[in-house]
Amino acid sequence: MAEALLTVAGLTVAYADVRAVEGVDLNVSAGEVVALIGANGAGKSSLLKGLMGLEARVQGNITFAGSDLAGLSPLRRARLGIGYVPEGRRVFPGMTAEENLLVASREDSAARTVRTAEMYALFPQLAVRRHAPAWQLSGGEQQMLAVARALMTRPRLLLVDEPTLGLAPATAQSVIRVLRGIAASGAAVLLAEQNARAALATADRAVLMRLGRIEASGTAKAIAGDERLLRSLMGG
Amino acid sequence: MTARNPVRAWLGRDINVLLLAGAIGLAAWPFFAGDAYSLRLLTVAGIYALAAIGYQFVFGHAGALSLAQGAFFGFGAYVAGILSVRMGAGFEVTFPAAIAASTVLAALVALPVLRLQSHYFALATLGIGQVVLLVAVNWESVTGGANGIPNVPALSLLGATVGRGWPMLLLVWSLVAIGALIARRLTGGLTGAALRLMREQPMAAEAAGIDIRGVRFAAFLLSALYGGAAGALQVHTVRVVSPEVLEFPVMVMLLAIAVIGGRTSVAGAILGAVLLVHLPEWFRPLERYYLMAYGLALLAMIVAAPWGLIGLLRHVRQRWLPEPEPPPPVAGPMPVGRPPARLEITGLTRRFGGIRAVDGIDLVVTPGESVGIVGANGSGKTTLLNMIAGAEKPDSGRIGWAQADIAGLPPYRIARAGIARTFQTLKLVDGTTALDNVAAASWHEFGGPGRDAARAAAMALLQKLDLAETAWKPCGALPPGLRRRVEIARALIGGPALLLLDEPAAGLTAAERDSLAGTLAALNNDGTTVVVVEHDLAFLEKFVARIVCLDQGRIIADGAPADVRADPGVVAAWLGQPLDEGGGHG
Amino acid sequence: MEFLQLAINGIALGAAYALVALGFVLILNATGAVNFAQGDLVAAGGFLAVALAGFLPVPGLLLLPLVVILMAGLGLAVSAAAYWPLRDRPPVAVFISTIALGIVIQNGLNGLFGAEPRAAPPLFSGGHLEFFGLVIARQSLAIMGVAALLIGGVQLLLKHTQLGRRLRATAQDREVAAALGVPVGAMVALTFALAAALAGVAGLLLANQFFITPTHGTDFIVKAYIAVVIGGWGRVGGALAGAMLVALFETVVAAWTDYAVATGLLYAALLTILVFRPQGLFGEAEGRRA
Repeated sequence: MAEALLTVAGLTVAYADVRAVEGVDLNVSAGEVVALIGANGAGKSSLLKGLMGLEARVQGNITFAGSDLAGLSPLRRARLGIGYVPEGRRVFPGMTAEENLLVASREDSAARTVRTAEMYALFPQLAVRRHAPAWQLSGGEQQMLAVARALMTRPRLLLVDEPTLGLAPATAQSVIRVLRGIAASGAAVLLAEQNARAALATADRAVLMRLGRIEASGTAKAIAGDERLLRSLMGG
Repeated sequence: MTARNPVRAWLGRDINVLLLAGAIGLAAWPFFAGDAYSLRLLTVAGIYALAAIGYQFVFGHAGALSLAQGAFFGFGAYVAGILSVRMGAGFEVTFPAAIAASTVLAALVALPVLRLQSHYFALATLGIGQVVLLVAVNWESVTGGANGIPNVPALSLLGATVGRGWPMLLLVWSLVAIGALIARRLTGGLTGAALRLMREQPMAAEAAGIDIRGVRFAAFLLSALYGGAAGALQVHTVRVVSPEVLEFPVMVMLLAIAVIGGRTSVAGAILGAVLLVHLPEWFRPLERYYLMAYGLALLAMIVAAPWGLIGLLRHVRQRWLPEPEPPPPVAGPMPVGRPPARLEITGLTRRFGGIRAVDGIDLVVTPGESVGIVGANGSGKTTLLNMIAGAEKPDSGRIGWAQADIAGLPPYRIARAGIARTFQTLKLVDGTTALDNVAAASWHEFGGPGRDAARAAAMALLQKLDLAETAWKPCGALPPGLRRRVEIARALIGGPALLLLDEPAAGLTAAERDSLAGTLAALNNDGTTVVVVEHDLAFLEKFVARIVCLDQGRIIADGAPADVRADPGVVAAWLGQPLDEGGGHG
Repeated sequence: MEFLQLAINGIALGAAYALVALGFVLILNATGAVNFAQGDLVAAGGFLAVALAGFLPVPGLLLLPLVVILMAGLGLAVSAAAYWPLRDRPPVAVFISTIALGIVIQNGLNGLFGAEPRAAPPLFSGGHLEFFGLVIARQSLAIMGVAALLIGGVQLLLKHTQLGRRLRATAQDREVAAALGVPVGAMVALTFALAAALAGVAGLLLANQFFITPTHGTDFIVKAYIAVVIGGWGRVGGALAGAMLVALFETVVAAWTDYAVATGLLYAALLTILVFRPQGLFGEAEGRRA
């Protein structure tokens, strides 16, 4: 396998009350989708936030494209090429769909326009709604906007947190399919998802988390085929 | 107690030291600089101390940024001044009248104002001051208008004149001492711990049966009462009443005293008042920039020592003279259990925007049962729990409990009806000991002076939950597993018939989970009905006999754990379905 | 006719208040905190114009850019002294720290300039214009013009520039903005600079017709605060409308009754609004920002 784009070793994320993630080792290479699956509270979100630099109490080593991320602000990580799609979408509600895209760009105005057009090609529905305030978009549209917004930064690694939550199956399916396409174009995707079966159907590899630790990992196919292992996500 | 060094223990009580030093200083200082001006300054400092002690009730203890204290102070001054000049009334009339007037004013405005939160409350209270000021300036026939009323007579008490200088100083400081003692009684003991719980974790306080609005109301009235008293003293000291006493700088002065001295400590108010009243004198060389220096000092205090000088002193003492941990209190009897009752939920619904978070749920929990509630993220579990506990109001439906419908009641009333809860993210007061975190939750039962009884009951619970070692440790320093248990102990101090737990195992290690499951099983065996929201079926299976699974706000399975685990709908709710087959929900 | 006359005076006053309220609400949205020094920044701007006019005897309009630049610098200082050290504490800490900073500004001005009322130079020149019997001070027209230009300019900046989008994104969700590579710390500091510049301009405008004293700041902050509450906490358009409403109370209603009664009525209206519509007159039922 090619050298991993992201290497995580012994990562621990703690809050005042709990250790949300404990001793996680993980790597993600360019061009692959890695699914992080596990029940709510397994530590998936905290892991992604820890990678993005949004959690204060993080220990362990994170190397991204040869850089040590320790102590770097979210801003610096974003500029190194990490994109983030937060749980619950969190689009900027008072800004239009188009403004949500534009604000994430760090390129000049001409390149920004080109990139925005690329996003509209990827998500035609957003082109239709481009001048609507983001809070008026449907859940699916908001999710697409959140993904497109992260893509505006041309990330080499995209962290995606629970993109199908609360979406109708068809919509969820199209969001997941886009992630597959992003990986095909050469970026790495780390996808945290509660809908294990949907995630496994898309991902190359999968990591099962339970109680903040990695329970199992392997190819998505192998894990999807191990019903007993999957059911351990329910506890026990 | 023999283990403690008595000198150290005595020194440790910084409040005593401070009060004593203050008293000696006060007594000695006028002898050195006993000119009329110094005496007057010290008298004014006492007046501000009294108003600031009052202000602490609402700003410090209730944690609400009121900007009306200046208005209560000035209103009291006007009432006393007018009665004294226009009717020749003595202090025996003007003093109670000023107090009554300010308190009544507070009671009148409390209704609209107290419901407001933070910034709105601050603005509304600021508005009260502005309106009183306007009236004072414009109602010339009574208030003397912009010039106010000059020549207020010296204070006369039952015909005897209390003159300038020493007599007035002693009268003022005697009243400060009385006011300070009353304030310490009202806010000390268990009440102090309960107020802190209310400030730092209001949801937990309500869940412990504390009526926060009632407490805020009382604090607001008390602040006005002290403000009015101080105002009456002010007018007889400065011998004139003018709109200046109602202007914003007076309010800022009181705020500064409370911030610089300390927000909840009576000694802090006295220290702050003496300091700030004299500060301009020390900054005299700065001439007209002295007030600027005073602003800078205030700013520096907020940034560097947010808990004021008293907080700083406590911190220094903790650092250099750490007090040894006292032995744990003797455990008392366990709290008396409430009579068991049946929880009967019918048609319960709650919408957020267009989404039905809880969609017509019917659920019966019989006394002594233990029930797990599971479901995916967003399935409505926590909303259901919050509605039972009163933290959220249902849109429709009934929650039957002990022959009553408790749906929509405020949380404190539900708590008093015997339903206790814990929170998904812990709501403990980090800076308070485990013992007092638990004891504070029984304030509603024991009241302020009942601290020893409450601590004995709390100790019994800590022992029962294997937490005896943590009694004097601040909660913030405990590991997560123990903190979870402290919260459970707190929920149990009212002897609840029904205990609601929201993800109690979140963030715990496997060993901690096992031991928590054992604790909950034992509680249930003792007769407490237990309802637990959780994700981890394995954890639930250790102690519940019944599991209810929610999906999109509806019950999709209800039965024995093994049956629920095997239910295809439940499996799909957990693991999802491949999306191309349709019908899956994350 | 008399009503029209009053209304025009009221709108001019409201335009100046709107600048103050706009700055207040920009900081509120960006940080969740009340900048209580905003009123004292108005006084600072007024005295700055007075001082500059002493060195440069030119019309106020030419002083305006200087006031904007210097006040923006003061805004950065305000954010560094009273906001940045307290950014992780509850918003009430910033409320109190900005009260303290307001005292510093107020008394600094008092030390430098004394307590006497001072007047800044007019924007163009003094005098009046007459339209169909309406007598309008040139300064009133100039105030309306400058305020409209500035408010429009701020709107353009916020809506149509990348910097403006970044300022708004920071205000709406600071964490996500940071994760998208927006320098959120710099955006907050810039917001303070912008708010102080707006307050400074308001000071320059008001200090000609109404004079200015160091203690005026408290009046301005109370008015801006009321405007923002009436307009719906955190809503820019609402704050501007609220500022107009406050100014109309002070001119039109005050002329019908008297100033004290009008102010009393304003507070009564404010309390009534808070009781029945805690989200403000123009706020949505479910405000996006608490």
